[in-house]
Amino acid sequence: MPVDVGAIVPGMELPVFEREGSLLHWVRYAAVNPAHIVGHHFDDDVARSEGFDAAFIMAPLEHAYLHVLLRNWMGRQGRVRRLDIRLRRPLLRGRTLRAGGKVVAVHREGRSVLVTLDVWETDDLGELLAPGTAEVELVADRT
Amino acid sequence: MRTLITDEMRAIVGVVMDEATSYPIAASDIRRWALAVYHPEVPPPEFWDEDDPATVAMGGIVAPDEFNPLAWITKEPGPARRSPPEGTHRVGAFEAALGVEPPPFRAVLQGEIRARYGEVRMRPGDVIRATTRITEYAEREGRMGLQLYTTVSEELTNQDGAWVKTVDTVFVRY
Repeated sequence: MPVDVGAIVPGMELPVFEREGSLLHWVRYAAVNPAHIVGHHFDDDVARSEGFDAAFIMAPLEHAYLHVLLRNWMGRQGRVRRLDIRLRRPLLRGRTLRAGGKVVAVHREGRSVLVTLDVWETDDLGELLAPGTAEVELVADRT
Repeated sequence: MRTLITDEMRAIVGVVMDEATSYPIAASDIRRWALAVYHPEVPPPEFWDEDDPATVAMGGIVAPDEFNPLAWITKEPGPARRSPPEGTHRVGAFEAALGVEPPPFRAVLQGEIRARYGEVRMRPGDVIRATTRITEYAEREGRMGLQLYTTVSEELTNQDGAWVKTVDTVFVRY
């Protein structure tokens, strides 16, 4: 159920979005974005040779998951205008990604509502993977 | 002070590194993308179901903002011309596209992604043009030694010249 645009206030938290860190997901993504068919996403040995404990997620997929988080919250009444993330550490194969967000500012102008959010991704151990910020625009009667 | 940034590298900051034009976006391209990103859930209907009333109200199927219309093959340059010359095939060797020797590195990762989206959405039939530039270099000592941060900026416009999005990716080479 999309958010009630009139009820958006600073401090509001978005429903958490979760995805397993699994090759079953990552292979699907690589199939539509083949620049990310790179060894360290699929082969633990390659990832270890680069200093990581296991194969890890593609960065644009982490970015895409935050779009899904925002779209799930906004529904069709909203658009992402800006979405910036810093990739501190990658989601490793076998862990679960948890994405969340919190409203930090709301600006209403006519029917348009501009919302600034802090967004983040952690793994199931609570390690912060990717903090970021976003701006979205919602229109109350957008279908 | 040790640096990986040469004068030749500084000289190409802001210079167009790559230009590409997509084939017309197919609805099935959008459907596959949405299914991959939303798996195992069902994506919203505006990304796959042209008969859904909400999709009809939006004027037809639209692409998710993060959709990459140039992912597999581009009309210009075509696949044969897109094959890089010898020595430039390595992922992360951005400078080679402009004839500049890339710095030595053993790995490349994405450290930051910054995306801005315009009013115009990507839809089936759109032809998207991408223009790519290196827009910044920076360096920092990290646990893997000296790390080179390279911001690669890709701007997408559609067949009408309307701005679709700009994605800045900061690559870390070490």
